[in-house]
Amino acid sequence: MNTIAEHIADFLKEYAPFDQLTFQELSEIAVNIRVLNLEKNKTLFQINDPLHDCFYMVNSGLINLYAIADAEETILSKCHEGAIFGLRPFFAKNNYMMTAKAREESIVYAIPIAVFRPFVANNAAVLDFLLENFAANSHQTKTSQNLGKSIISDTVFYSDQKAEMQFFQALSYNSNPIVVTADAIVKDVAQLMAETLLNSAIVSENNMPIGIVTHTDMSSKIATGRYANTVPVATIMSKPPITVIENVSLAEAQLLMLKNNVTHLCVTQDGTNKSVIRGVISEHDLVIAQANNPGVLIKEIKRSQSSKELQQIRLRLADLIQNSIFKNIPLTHINNIASEINFAIIKRAVELSILDLGSPPARFAWLSIGSQGRKEQLLLTDQDSILIFEDVAAEKYREVKDYFLKLGKKTTLTLEKVGYQLCPNGHMGSNMMWCKSLTDWVKQYDAWMNTPGENSNELSSIFFDYELVIGEQKIEDAITNVVFRNAKNNTLFFDFLGNDALRKHSPLSFFKKFIVEEEGVYKDFFDIKTRALMPLVDSARLFALSYDLIGINNTYLRFKQLAITDPKHSEIYLNCAEAFLTLSKFRTLEGLKNDDAGQYINLEEMSKIDKEKLKNALAPMKELEELIKNKFQLTQFS
Amino acid sequence: MLDWLKYINKEHPEFWKTYISKFDSKSSRYVILSTEKTGLNPHKDVVLSISAFAVVNDSILISDSFEAVLLQYKFLHDNQLSNEFIIESKLPKLSEPEAIKAFIEFIGNAVLVGHHVDFDVEMFNAALERLGCGRLKNEALDIDIMHRKLNDITDKQFSLDELSQIYKIPISDRNSSSEDAYRTALLFLKLKSRLGIK
Repeated sequence: MNTIAEHIADFLKEYAPFDQLTFQELSEIAVNIRVLNLEKNKTLFQINDPLHDCFYMVNSGLINLYAIADAEETILSKCHEGAIFGLRPFFAKNNYMMTAKAREESIVYAIPIAVFRPFVANNAAVLDFLLENFAANSHQTKTSQNLGKSIISDTVFYSDQKAEMQFFQALSYNSNPIVVTADAIVKDVAQLMAETLLNSAIVSENNMPIGIVTHTDMSSKIATGRYANTVPVATIMSKPPITVIENVSLAEAQLLMLKNNVTHLCVTQDGTNKSVIRGVISEHDLVIAQANNPGVLIKEIKRSQSSKELQQIRLRLADLIQNSIFKNIPLTHINNIASEINFAIIKRAVELSILDLGSPPARFAWLSIGSQGRKEQLLLTDQDSILIFEDVAAEKYREVKDYFLKLGKKTTLTLEKVGYQLCPNGHMGSNMMWCKSLTDWVKQYDAWMNTPGENSNELSSIFFDYELVIGEQKIEDAITNVVFRNAKNNTLFFDFLGNDALRKHSPLSFFKKFIVEEEGVYKDFFDIKTRALMPLVDSARLFALSYDLIGINNTYLRFKQLAITDPKHSEIYLNCAEAFLTLSKFRTLEGLKNDDAGQYINLEEMSKIDKEKLKNALAPMKELEELIKNKFQLTQFS
Repeated sequence: MLDWLKYINKEHPEFWKTYISKFDSKSSRYVILSTEKTGLNPHKDVVLSISAFAVVNDSILISDSFEAVLLQYKFLHDNQLSNEFIIESKLPKLSEPEAIKAFIEFIGNAVLVGHHVDFDVEMFNAALERLGCGRLKNEALDIDIMHRKLNDITDKQFSLDELSQIYKIPISDRNSSSEDAYRTALLFLKLKSRLGIK
């Protein structure tokens, strides 16, 4: 017995489906494993490569799986330690339909199919596990039960891109269209279409498309009697057909149909009508694909019954965000969609708690604060929230507060299960301090704004970015009134906020070099959150409060509005708005790459152009700083 | 250089002739080996265990491996060493001639790779001499030298643990020659791709 094989068997045992096998069986498999070391960015297999004789398991490192749509790589999933991928040879005969590339230097076990197959055949549990996951991903997963079950989910299996939920997915279309020659008789073609229940037929010559006949042609040209049904199909076909390349995305297919006013697209090998026919996309295919768009997500959120279902939806949102970013959809747009969905999830979490606890004894408002309140949350960050309930009679107060604390606890725990971590500083509605009556909250804001720095209560500026999730709009309005009433000519408060905004470390050195972390895990990385984004967020809030910009919480929109309100400095504000978007995008990309909050950027990995872009985005901050110093004459706290 | 003269009238064992005949073609197989030895003197010390893995096409083949404990009763007795190691091991136990023969058959014409591999090679040559065979003909690569070449270091040697640390290979708490051979194999894969060796 080989000692290393034993170690490998030990490793396998920890992960499904290997945990179903005995150690003896695992050892047998382990003996036949090949161990690969993949350098960073090394491709293990790519789309259309012939299948390997094995599937893979990550021992250490990170492997990303990509698909290609509209000639661009899109990350499908990330395989961490213990993840299995490349199972296609097990189930299908055709070539790989994705690319596997090492995101970090990785060690991968190659497990020969021939060795593993007998164990699958003899062990029903292993077979079920594989089939279930493979099946769950090759068909559109509509039912949420189905989603809940798939354990290794999309990260591992991948068949057709049907399971992808968003506009930029590659379409699944009919790859087996009716193809007829130009001299076929219309009647026969119609008969064929009726039999196969298809509503189009491609007219070809040498396997290349020269035209297309659809239901519309049939009804407008034959049924109306303009032509007899015995003419050749070439007479009534639309030509040339609109052709597209394989792997076209939903969005592009939709645009082409609108632009050319057609209902069908012909898919060819290279996208021109001078190459081989591959299939046909109908409007119907688009409708089916759209069943997975943001609107549908929101509907599903409203219907979901457990944190588990919400978690699955949040995962799909992450995919949506990721793919939208790679597709260069404007970040403001992604932000809007993402925050709407985030809000819907939080709202549903509160509703689920209410369903459990019974109706609330008083009216209330649940507000998201911080990045969620500013609608800038793209990556999974921690939760920040507050709870305000209306004033009740003194003897009822205790009971009411108890109810809302319970509500807060239940909701934050649900959200934690969904994937939003609890706020490490306890800024949540489940906290005694941040769950109180309207009067108490008014006092709280009064204290923060009129005597900043004096009170033992810390003043965290995130409390000034809030957004109603569920409850009474009037309660939120009341708080807003207090905030802006207090802000009027409140030099002390702005002095405090201004100093707070400027206290952050500067991002560039005197010689215009990035200031990077000097020690720790992130040595030589650039802290984009505290050095670049936070100062912009803080400054935008400061100006928004001082210019009475009620109801605009988003940093980008705040700068945009400021450019209008204070036209003298509009250029600075506009630059800052753009800079904020650029920086957010860098951060989000970094976060998606590494599966974290994207706070630290690895400069070494950046291209020269990106570095320049990043540097340029930091430039407007200097002017903004001067503007703050001039306007608020910071003295008391500096 | 005139080695062949020395052996001209000597009849080599059969396995050795087979081994020699394998060198007509160049191998694409690497054998990564690690041994436990009683010391570094090829004539006074002996090999106690051998572990080796084959690397083909940039992957370690777990099935294509070799592990053996060499019985050295006489040596242990002469040097008053305990032989508890040998009794406790679950690995196949072979006498030195058997083990060397099996190992020579295993390596064939592969390129040998090890950590400070020249000591191992000298050790094997001494054992082969005792069997009336010639010296190993395999090419040999040393991962320490590969690492130093990659980083242009001339004045320092690196232990296997140091190299493992530099290339972020987890060090197992179990310590054995097969463990070392596996680590060496991983290191070799990493160094090989970095140095662009085919």
